This record gives sequence, C-alpha cells and structure tokens, in this order.
Amino acid sequence: MNINRRKFLHGMSTTAMSAATMGTLTTGLNAFTVNAQTASDYKALVCVFLLGGMDTHDLLIPYDNESYSQYRNIRSTMLEGYGASREQAALLPLSPTNAADYGNRAFALPPEMSNLHQLFHQGDAAIIGNVGPLIQPTSKTELENKSVPLPPRLFSHNDQQATWQSGGPEGAQYGWGGLFADLVQQNNLNQEFTNITTQGNSLFLSGANTFPYQVSASGASNIRLLSPELFRDNPELQQMLSDHFASDDSDTANLLRQDVTMLNSAAFASNQKFEAAFQDDLTLNTTFPSSGLGRQLETVAKTIANKEALGVGRQIFFVAIGGFDTHDNQAVTLPALQSQIDSSVVSFHQAMTEMGLNEQVTLFTASDFGRTLAVNGDGTDHGWGSHHLVVGGAVNGQQIYGQVPPASLGHDWDAGNGRLIPGVSIEQLAAPMGRWFGLSDAELAVALPNLANFSEQSLNFI
Amino acid sequence: MFMIRSVVVKNYRLHILGLIVMLVASGCGGGSSEGTDTPPIGNSPPIGAPVPNNDDIIPGESAAARLLTQATFGPSRQAIRDLSGESVSEWLLAEFAKPASLHSQHVEHLADTYGEEALTGFVGRHSTTSAFWQHAVSADDQLRQRVAFALSEIIVVSNANDNLFRDYPQAVSGFQDILIEHAFGNYLDMITEVTYSPTMGRFLTYINSRKADPETGRVPDENYARELLQLFTIGLVALNMDGSPQTDTNNNAIELFDNDDITGLAKVFTGFKYALGRNDPDFQRALSMPMVINEQRHSTTEKSFLGLTIPSNTNGPESITLALQHIIDQPSAAPFISRQLIQRLVTSHPEPDYIERVAQAFETGLYELPNGTVVGEGRKGDLKATIAAILTDPDARYDMMDADVDLSKFGKVREPLLRLTHWARAFELESVTPELLPLLWDTSGAEQLNQHPYRASSVFNFFRPGYQASNTMTGAEGLTMPELQLLNASSSFGYINFMTTFITGTAQADPDDVLRAINADPDEPIIDVSNVDKAFLPIYTTEIALAADSTALVEHLAQVLITGNLSDATKDRVIQTIDLSPVTGNASADIRVKLAIILLMTSSDYLVQQ
Repeated sequence: MNINRRKFLHGMSTTAMSAATMGTLTTGLNAFTVNAQTASDYKALVCVFLLGGMDTHDLLIPYDNESYSQYRNIRSTMLEGYGASREQAALLPLSPTNAADYGNRAFALPPEMSNLHQLFHQGDAAIIGNVGPLIQPTSKTELENKSVPLPPRLFSHNDQQATWQSGGPEGAQYGWGGLFADLVQQNNLNQEFTNITTQGNSLFLSGANTFPYQVSASGASNIRLLSPELFRDNPELQQMLSDHFASDDSDTANLLRQDVTMLNSAAFASNQKFEAAFQDDLTLNTTFPSSGLGRQLETVAKTIANKEALGVGRQIFFVAIGGFDTHDNQAVTLPALQSQIDSSVVSFHQAMTEMGLNEQVTLFTASDFGRTLAVNGDGTDHGWGSHHLVVGGAVNGQQIYGQVPPASLGHDWDAGNGRLIPGVSIEQLAAPMGRWFGLSDAELAVALPNLANFSEQSLNFI
Repeated sequence: MFMIRSVVVKNYRLHILGLIVMLVASGCGGGSSEGTDTPPIGNSPPIGAPVPNNDDIIPGESAAARLLTQATFGPSRQAIRDLSGESVSEWLLAEFAKPASLHSQHVEHLADTYGEEALTGFVGRHSTTSAFWQHAVSADDQLRQRVAFALSEIIVVSNANDNLFRDYPQAVSGFQDILIEHAFGNYLDMITEVTYSPTMGRFLTYINSRKADPETGRVPDENYARELLQLFTIGLVALNMDGSPQTDTNNNAIELFDNDDITGLAKVFTGFKYALGRNDPDFQRALSMPMVINEQRHSTTEKSFLGLTIPSNTNGPESITLALQHIIDQPSAAPFISRQLIQRLVTSHPEPDYIERVAQAFETGLYELPNGTVVGEGRKGDLKATIAAILTDPDARYDMMDADVDLSKFGKVREPLLRLTHWARAFELESVTPELLPLLWDTSGAEQLNQHPYRASSVFNFFRPGYQASNTMTGAEGLTMPELQLLNASSSFGYINFMTTFITGTAQADPDDVLRAINADPDEPIIDVSNVDKAFLPIYTTEIALAADSTALVEHLAQVLITGNLSDATKDRVIQTIDLSPVTGNASADIRVKLAIILLMTSSDYLVQQ
C-alpha cells in the first residue's frame, strides 16, 4: 500500500493537470490551521443522491391560486394520473419565515412528504430553490447568446451526476465531499473511515487523498474461507491464505495489476479494521423503514454510532436511490419515491436526535438535474436547476433559500419547456456546509474553485 | 428423498466448506510428493518465440488461450488445444459461419421442460438469466455470444426495475436475440431493429409517446432520442477517427448536439405501440414482436436535428429510416462504437492508432484478415469487419505479431460475470443447469458478483466507458478503467466468497430450497429437482491427478486461467501455500486443487486480462 501510494503520488506529480491540482491542494493544506478535535466535536454531512433527475417541480409545488392554476394547466395531462393527490386542497402548504421574499406567491409540499413538512415547521429543514451546476451567474440572454461558459454536457444523466458531485463530467476523479475530507481528515485517527458510501464507488467522496469506504447494508465484511475454526491444526495455512488476500506486492510493471492489488489489499485492511471496531448493537427507539433508502440511512446511523470505535471526528456519507428518471408513469413512480424519502429521512433525523447528534449531522439531497415543467404525456424530461432539502438541527430551517422561478413557461429562468436555469450554483450550496464542517474560506476556495465567480450571497442556511 | 436432504441452504454450504478445510487441517505438514501419473499437458513455445513468417498462426496454447479469453466466455481445454497452431483468420471465419443460438429458444425450452405451471413464476423470473448462463457456458457460437453480450453493455436494457420484463421473459430474451442475430451483421440494421423493439420502447419509455399537443403543452418523450445519440451511436462530443475529442479554439471538446436536436429527434420516435393490444390473449407475444406505428399519433411537423430536416408529413417508418441513417453517417459513430467494443473485448484504454484501425473497418465496412480474406459487406457499421479488426490487430495480438503497444497500460480488469463463465468453461462440470442453481439467479449484489446479465441499474450499464478510478495509478495516468467502477471493499470480499463457493463445489442448493425459492411445495414439486446437486458441480479429475506435484498443478491451472501471464511471485506463493496442504489421498488432493484455483482466481495475474 505504501509503495503504491508513493508511486501514485509520484505519478500524480508527473502529469501537468494533476500537478496543478496537487499544487493548489498543498497550498490549501498549508493554510489550514489544525483544530484539535474531541469526540464531542463530531460532525457529519450526509448526501442523499436521487439518481435519474428528480422532478422537483413536484416537490416545491406552487400553492397560491394564480401559480397553482398555471401549474395545473401546464401539467394537466400528467396530473390526471395523480388523482386527488395534486388537488390544491391535498397539498401541504409551507409557511416559511421568509415568506415575504416571495410576495404573493406561496408554496406547498406534496402530501407524500408530511413528515418533512412537519420538520420544516419545527425549524430543522430548509429548502434551497433552483440550485444546479453553473460556472458563473448565467442569465437567459447569456445562455441564448452563449456568452458565458456553461457546465459541459448539460441534461446528460451520467455527466450531470458527475458534475453535481465534482464540478466535471464523466471521467472526473475528485468530488467536493472528497476534497472536503482531504482538508479535515488529518484529525481523524482512521482516515480511511472518513468518507463512507453505501452505493458503490462514489465520485462525490473521492479526494486526492481520500478513498471512500463501502459499507454494505448487510454489514459483514469477512472472507469466509479464513474462518479460524476451519484451520484447527493448520494455522500456518490460514496465515498464508490471509497473506495472499492482504498482499500489496506487485512485481509487475502493469498499472492495472498494480491497481487491482492495491485496491484489494486496501479493502482487506479496511474491512478487517472495520470488522474489529464496528459494534452492531445500536438500540434505538427509532425504527427505519425497510426501503432501499431506509436501510442505507440505518447503516449510516449505525456507523455514526460507532464513531469513537472507528476513530473519526469528521465524516461524509453518500447514499443513493434510483428511479427518478420519470419520463413516463410519473404519477405512479414519483409519489412512492417521495414517500420513501419522507419516511427514511425523518427516521434518520429522529435517530440522530435520539443519539444526541442532531446538531452535528446535516443531511442534504442532490440529483442529476430537475425536469421540465412541460409534460410529455405521463412524464417529464431532463432539466437543469432543481430544488433541494437540507435537514438537521444545525440548519436554519423553515425557510426557502435561493429563488423559485414562476410556474410558467418562457420566463427569465426558463431554458425551454420549464428547464430551469439555476439561480444558485452547487458551489454556493456546498460552501455553507463546508464552512460549518470546519473549512476556512481559503480551503473552500480550493475545494470549490468556481465559488469565487459568485458574489457572496446570503445562503446562511446553516 | 427430499425429506432426507432438507438442510437449510446456508448451513449446508458452510458445512461443506467447513468439511473441506478441516480436511486440509487434518494433515501433518510436508511438501509435495512425486506425481507419477501426471497426464500429458500441451506443450507451447514461450511467448515471443519466432512465428513462421506469418501473423496468422497461433503459436501455442498460451496464445490460443489469450485469444479465447478476449473472444469467448472463456477458454476450455479443448478449445485451447484445437486452436493452438491454427490460423486466427480461419477461426474467425468459422465462428462467423456458425448458426446463432438464440436466448428465446432456451426460454421456450425451459417452459417446455418445466411446464405451464412453472411458467409464470420460476421460468418467468429466471429464464432470461438462465439463458445467459447457459449460452455463455455451453453455446457453440462463442464469439457471437460474447460480442452480443458486449453489445448488450452498450445498447442496454435492464430488468432491474420492470416487473413486466420479469413476468414476460420474452421481452429481454427477444431483445438479446436481436443483438445475437446482428452481432456479425450491420450496426445500422441492428439499431433499426432495436428502435422497433418493444423492450427498448418500454425501457426508454418512448412506446406510446405522442406528437406534441400545443393545446395542452404536451411534448414528445425525449428519453430515447437522447440516449440513442449519447450512448448507442455517436456520443456527446465530436471524435476524431482515433477516438480523441475534437476541440474548439479554447481547447474545449466540441459537443455534438444541444437540446434543440433532442426535441427535434424526439418527434421521430412518436406513435409507437405494441403490435398487439394489452387485452389480446396473446399479448405476451407482442413483447418480442416489432412495435407498430400509429400514424395518427406520429409527429407531422418538421423534424430537425444534427443538421438534418425531415420534411413535415413524413410518415413514421420513413422518418425513422432517414433519422437512423443520418445518425450512423456521423463521423463520430465509428470511433465511438469501436473504442467501446475494444474495451469490452481486449483493453480498457486502447491506444489511438488501435482505435483508428478498428474505426476504419467500421467506417468502410471492410477488413482484410491476416490470411488475405476480406470480410465485411462494404457498408458502414459492418460488425464482422469491426470484430475482425479488433481481434487481429497487432495490439490485441502483441504476443504473436510486431506491435507498438505500451504493455504497462494494456489489458482490462475482467468483468466479474466473465470470471464465473471462465471458470465454468475451464473445468469439467457435472451439468450446466443454471435454472437449478439459485445462487445464479441474481448475482447483482456486492456480496455476489456486483453484476448480473441484463440487470444494470440503468441504461448507463454496470460501468461507464469513461470511468477513471481516483487514487489509483491508472487514474493518475488518465486511463479509463470501466470495470474498476465495480471494485470496492464490499465487492472485493464478495467476489472471493462467491467464487469460493463455486470452486469448492458448495454453491449447489438443497432441492427443497430450490422449490421454496420458486414458491413451490416440496411435497408437490412442479419441477424436477433430482439433479440440483449436480448444477455447476466441478469435476477436477485431471487436476487431482496432478495435485501431488504442486508446480505441475499450478502450471496446468495457469495455462487455462492466467493465459501466459503468471508472475513468479504469484506462482511461488500459490505453490508454497498449497504445499502446506498435504496430499494423502484423493480427498486431500481435491482440496489442494480447490485452494490453488481460489488463489489463482483472486490474484491480480488473473483479475487483469492482459
């Protein structure tokens, strides 16, 4: 592992682009003044990624009479399928403390999100309106004249997932969660457990020195062949087998083989360490739903409960569910997913409260993109900006931050068919959370390179 | 009979696994003994030995195994022996000439074998999967099957989230048959049939998409238009023939289309419906019949995209023909598809000159094999020409031709699925009956293979062709490594455990558990489970005969598994390890064989196909 790490760093410094990245990172690291962390200083960010591009026109729903009827008209063919659940009377109106910012306009959550509706009014949840990838502030005229740089590969799933997570399209290697971890994990005893994913190899969590650790919902991470009871009289054989799986020796010039050896060796070491530290004995009154998201957030809660054993004071988690690419059948698909988000996120919030960590754990949603306001019959197509939730005790809740474009077509934020030109960049969403997490302005500038293109906005949601 | 053997699957497996290793433990140490009854194994000249002035003759068993690893679901001993010393060109021509074995035939065979009663549950849910394993391991048209699988990872449908696809296996098996039938045909013909496929129509939601309605503001579904361009044909950015992106004056990649192109192209894919109505008693047949177009619902306005305008009032079929031809005519199609096919068969980050040679074959539709035979019909998108170019290129055949290739960056991490099929083809099995082996019915989890045929989580496949792994040597070099997207701490151990159960012959389920898995009453079995214990059960007779001589055993296994790349370090470690497991009889020899296979198949020598 060490040899490969050195080789890796050497390899990094030999390529021009990577050298630049390393250079800025090193500057950022030097500027960082080490904060001694204690266990009580624990903080965690949890990214809930909604794969496929969530239709957040159906999350933050226009509620005042005029806006609602516009919305209803534009979406009439699709709303037929929803039945009564998108009748104005069925919606859950929001009373944000900053309602005045929106004049006569009012908003509501869908009835599937009653628990989050409650959390919002308790002050533990906020909504960030119309956030999405931007390189610099972008108006409709600038978009049409192509007079400002735009994020590449807009409207493409994989590229916009990557862009939300890293600022770059497919092929990007570092996400802002990973870069955040690069800057804070030196205070973690076991840096390998700083960034944790339940959803495979997460770009969001990968940093220059941070490799996300994958935990499975089923927990156990051991090689059954190595069970000690199977080697009663031949411990030497067990040791040899164990050495084989642990081995980081690569006597090959082939880089792929070096990588596979390094990754399997690192997996072996991390799994052993995790197995040894992790106690699966979290007893909470909170029960999690058995949905995909519920199980993942339960795994996150259990992992957080083991923070002392795992030796971590700062952690970033990535969980994800799919199914949001609702080109068709949205009236059936999306409400079920909204219910799943509602019950799972609220259970997680409850578990954190029960563990006394609600102020220290902040959850936020993210997605490939929003969708069109126009419908294609029974579904919606790929968009750009979207509305998102931030949940936790540290959140300045019961507010709608950013901006919410009107529920009509052809307005100043409409890139066509109600695909929203974002009013808030992802980096503006990330920055307040980074600051809360412990990063200085200089470090934020390293992790979020386009942040400087935006005038400081009062997104003080945390 | 079932009563006696009613052991819970999980315990059953652990029990057997435990038994095996305890047997290992019961010995008293010691090294290898003489093995006098070693059967002869094939002689192959070392890699790099002079080739008789001909780039066409496979010089030995290692080179044969290497080609078969790239071009099939894994080399069998017999195939290695047959190909060694023979002509690559002749082998390709023979594979091209083999009749296609279709997945739908297997699905029908299962329905016939297990009867109507089993159709909706067991056969419906698992026969598509079973067809894949069956064909991958046993079908004679191996190159065709392997290429069709590669195509299924570019033109993706998935039954991960669609109950209809699980209830009606004809949907996915019928779709895969399109890829199988066109694997040696033409890409445009294939994508045309794909466009009419109800499976794709449903998966990418354009079935029932209707022309715009200005009254209500309804617009056509854009899903297929976008993914057809982005994933199935030309990609997002303009490519040179060598696969490199074309850039503007600011050095930014030039994007091929914007959303106006998508809304324009989306109009082409309006009006599709199932060939039979949902109330038709034979509706399920419609899932493998081409969709039909209801012209009343097909867009009548102009359809503009990628610089083409299809005039207003052009009917559906004609619009589709014009659109698909125009898309395939784009210069990026050849390098875009060629690079991905190279990635699926040979190497994850092919060098530009290799991509260009293959892309030329795709573009011209012609390719001259090393023996002088020209393959292809001379029409752009010819897959015979493309596949032949990929497999007979000097980069692919660097072990037998002069090649200017950087071997430190060459090769691919084997896909987890292909590791299992490779093992199954490398060794003799009691029976290839995947329908009787529940472990094979869903291998999606990180605890299994992290990959299951036709069950990617989305149209973006199991991994992305442009994936670069952070914190790795290849990532630092900017090399794309799609399969590394599947490797993490969970899947690392998952693979070791999963493969161990197969190698040790402990994957087999208990008959009652198979019945329970398909919701059948063990007292009234609706399928014959008497051979459940033989499904994918390995017979290591040849290997056991070699086991006493650990060096001979490891070399013998490496011949079929590692295909010439076994490093001294791995070889030494495997030998040292199995030497700790004494051979005192057939049973202990069997253990030694299994340990050696586990060690080899979890070594980087194996995990990376070079």
